[in-house]
Amino acid sequence: AQAQDVDFDKGKTYTLGGLEVTGLKSFNEQTVITFTGLRVGQEITIPGEQLSEVINRLWDLRLFSDINFYQTGVEGDKIFLELEIVELPTLTDAKIVGVKERKAEGVLEEADVKKGEKVTEGFLANTRNYLVNKYKKEGYLNTKVYINTIPDTTQANGVKMVINVDKGEKVKIRDINIEGNEKLSDGRIRKAMKNTKQKVFGRFWKKSKFIPEDYQEDLKSIVNKYKESGYRDARVLSDSIIYNDDNSISIDLEVEEGNRYYFGKIDFVGNAAYTDEYLQNLLGIDEGDVYNGVLLAEQISDPNPDANTIENLYQNTGYLFSSINTVEVAAVNDTIDFEIRVNEGKQAYLNRVEVVGNDKTNDHVIYRELRTRPGQLYSKDRVVRTIREIGQMGFFDPETIDIQVLNPNPQNGTVDLQYGVQEKGSSQIELQGGYGGGGFIGTLGLSFSNFAIKDLFNKEAYKPIPMGDGQRLSLRLQASRFFQTYSFSFSEPWMGGKKPVQFSVSLSRTLQFQFNPLTRDVDRDQRFVINGITLGLAKRLRWPDDSFQLSHALSYQSYELQNYFGFQSIFPFPDGNGTSNNLAYTVALTRNNTSVNPIFPMRGSLFNLSLKFTPPYSLFNNVDYANLGDDPEFQTLNPQGEVVPDEGKISQEKLRWLEFYKVKFTGAWYTNIVDDLVLKSGFEFGFLGAYNQDRGVIPFERFFLGGDGLGNFTLDGRENIQLRGYPNQQLSSNVGSTIYNKFSLELRYPITLKPSASIYALSFAEGGAGFDGYEEYNPFELKRSAGLGVRIFMPAFGLLGIDFGYGFDRVPGATEISGWQTHFIIGQQF
Amino acid sequence: CSEYQKVLKEDDVKKKYEMAEKLYSEGDYTRAIRLFDQIVPNYIGKPQGERIIYFYADSYYQKEQYYQSAYQFERFAKSYPRSEKVEQAAFLGAKSEYLTSPKYSLDQAETKEAIERLQVYINSYPESEKLEEANAMVQDLRRKLDKKSFEIAKQYNTISDYFASIKSFELFLKDNPGSEYREDALFYKFTAEYNLAMNSIYSKREERLNNAIETYNVLLEDYAEGQYREDAEDMLTDINKELEQFSK
Repeated sequence: AQAQDVDFDKGKTYTLGGLEVTGLKSFNEQTVITFTGLRVGQEITIPGEQLSEVINRLWDLRLFSDINFYQTGVEGDKIFLELEIVELPTLTDAKIVGVKERKAEGVLEEADVKKGEKVTEGFLANTRNYLVNKYKKEGYLNTKVYINTIPDTTQANGVKMVINVDKGEKVKIRDINIEGNEKLSDGRIRKAMKNTKQKVFGRFWKKSKFIPEDYQEDLKSIVNKYKESGYRDARVLSDSIIYNDDNSISIDLEVEEGNRYYFGKIDFVGNAAYTDEYLQNLLGIDEGDVYNGVLLAEQISDPNPDANTIENLYQNTGYLFSSINTVEVAAVNDTIDFEIRVNEGKQAYLNRVEVVGNDKTNDHVIYRELRTRPGQLYSKDRVVRTIREIGQMGFFDPETIDIQVLNPNPQNGTVDLQYGVQEKGSSQIELQGGYGGGGFIGTLGLSFSNFAIKDLFNKEAYKPIPMGDGQRLSLRLQASRFFQTYSFSFSEPWMGGKKPVQFSVSLSRTLQFQFNPLTRDVDRDQRFVINGITLGLAKRLRWPDDSFQLSHALSYQSYELQNYFGFQSIFPFPDGNGTSNNLAYTVALTRNNTSVNPIFPMRGSLFNLSLKFTPPYSLFNNVDYANLGDDPEFQTLNPQGEVVPDEGKISQEKLRWLEFYKVKFTGAWYTNIVDDLVLKSGFEFGFLGAYNQDRGVIPFERFFLGGDGLGNFTLDGRENIQLRGYPNQQLSSNVGSTIYNKFSLELRYPITLKPSASIYALSFAEGGAGFDGYEEYNPFELKRSAGLGVRIFMPAFGLLGIDFGYGFDRVPGATEISGWQTHFIIGQQF
Repeated sequence: CSEYQKVLKEDDVKKKYEMAEKLYSEGDYTRAIRLFDQIVPNYIGKPQGERIIYFYADSYYQKEQYYQSAYQFERFAKSYPRSEKVEQAAFLGAKSEYLTSPKYSLDQAETKEAIERLQVYINSYPESEKLEEANAMVQDLRRKLDKKSFEIAKQYNTISDYFASIKSFELFLKDNPGSEYREDALFYKFTAEYNLAMNSIYSKREERLNNAIETYNVLLEDYAEGQYREDAEDMLTDINKELEQFSK
């Protein structure tokens, strides 16, 4: 307060003698006085900051359309003030007429018309403009919107609002007439107009509608089309829109093509970092080429970050501050000379690189994945790649990752980067009970993809679970009267925090009891037990490029049957007792450069080559598997008292330690066709073999083709291969295939890619077949199918989907073709 | 059906007000908050509002819902700048913000906001008896921000990106000359420079070894009896041994 004495020379200090509020409708005078913060008896300087502060505070409330202070009298050092306000009316009800009733609510919400809004002129105008534009965009060119406000008698200072929407008829374009064009046909010009189309029966991809902004863009596209073919001076002389009687319009265009031009000399000026020849090569335009202004611009600068342009060359090698200008320096007859003026500037080095918005995931999990680090040269493609890879971690919403380039300093050549992320839910909890297979089945599944195991015993960290270290932990228990399965898995992406080597471990145990479906009794003494453990290491490679990953896994499973007579095709033990062990090593090479959203990749490819094998026991155990039946140890007496091979013992010998090798090769390409439409094309190939043909190919680890491909029942290590349009697993023989291949094409289109739910529709055509041995293999003998479906991904539930597939071929043993099949997809990723 | 349930459903604002205040004074904040939720809008701008919003904010504070209390105390201080309670509210609001500040390894938006609000409080009430506590909180938050930058720079060394680590420590030492982590930062900068030099090609090794020695000298000068002395000396011995081949 002391400072003000000096500053405001003209202000005079009074005591506030009284304050009266006028213009009130719904507010109480005392309320408004309290709002002002003024009290009778206080000191007040007029003119001075106090009153403007009060006025500002009242404005901030957005309750008044006018606020004025008047001086009503002065008595000695007392001053009396009047505060005149005009209250804004409040919206008490809004109705919209002329829109389908079920849509009315939604439209009001979109237009931000809510009860309690203060009704200003601006609010009315915004609402009107919003609605007019909304319907124009849908092709209702003649939309008219009237808004009436009626005082609401039931509420002081309230108004009701009635919005009348008259959409009129949808306006279509009957024809587009073009005159003056000789070099380009009418058709090519119409094609150049991307969003303004003539009405054509049967085209549903792009509807004919007239949107003024798009139309203006399309006129530019026509000129660009000409520029691409050397007609530098081409222009649209006139365009007129004619309203026809049948509520359609016609567009008449007149173009002037001008002469065809050619590129003359192209000189580079100002380039020191790269030679003229180098830039000339990159530009790829030679003297004498037909003039193409669009190509020239694209070769220099293209919004696509992967494009091989001169601008990207500079931006990817630190020249953040560079700029490139193309200037026409001479035009002689039909030849134009260019000068490409490069202003390189200093190379920019990165100073601070920050990540903000991570309110669950710890810094070290993110910073170790950054490809832009302090001290490095700035590089645009590294920034783009970092954004992609942060998105693929699965902890953040890939659609909202942003980058801020902060404090660019062209003098020092430094710049800061800030990545903004938004956490998304990445844990799944599954708790379900169901009736299936003759009894109640209860499932409890927990899956945390961003766990922090170091906080397992830290009570504070349970909000609601310890997370943020990027570790994956899942736990699944499933039980019914006749079976139980327990599984646990854990993985850490950076073992020890030093190198990107992923470590994983998983444990599982399955118990299956003999169940009599007639008496519904369970005999727990007759059981089948499987225990398994898998240890894995995966390492990202730098060579041949850093999208490669090499992984190793060591796995062990033991199978034990006690008086158990199920699965005789796999375990042909006559007395129901036997064991089997599977110790195998898997090595896999993967290349994944899909981008950007892992749920819906738009481009890139994914390859996986893997080899799984066991030790070749038969090489050194000296067992003659071909003639086991001749060995007295493997013989028994049949009821007739003859010596015969003991099949049970032979099976046990062959299955005690499984011996096999398995090769798989899969690949998928994602191609962005148009808009967000993506084509996924893929192939799969698998082969299971034996080292020792006398021992034969094991009945485990086999391929089962057909159906949804969900792996619910994998206790014998079988792999269910998806092939829609056919019943589950029916394309393979009872024991399973040892060799298979599959080819597929899938078109995908996203309906929404919000983090709360990603939904896309798909249509597919695929073909594949499984064979019982290499001799039967025929890559051309495919079971074909086609169909369509939809996928919904919600972070809390995982992936859900339904596909309708039509199988064109017969399932082995069937007399009719497979026909329509419905497949439900649950939890299968991508 | 308790009386509380009845009042909760009633239209009479006054009854709710009375009960809310009673519950608040009895320390039943959860139920008080539910009632305040309903009546606060009716009292905004009215004289009773001053009491109610303060109690409302304080109830959240007592329930340890600090995001809410930070917001409500701020709202109180804005709406009733002349209230007797305004200093108290400004303090509790800033303290609430302080209490929302997460651990160093997460985004520090709340920490920065809390420092700002505490600083405003310290500047506005230099005579306050809470001054010491406020200053301690600011210091605590600054230390947290320092730790964040320090740990990030240190991690670059851990994952063998010595360049990034050295650059980050350089910036850290420049930005925070008085940091409690200065000694640690100097030592880890030295470690990163040591690692970089030892893993360098021959032509660059000498220069980088000398860079490391420079940092070593600063560390020893400022922290002659520091906790890293032995480790640093061991590393220096290695460096000198390595440098011998260049002096020949």
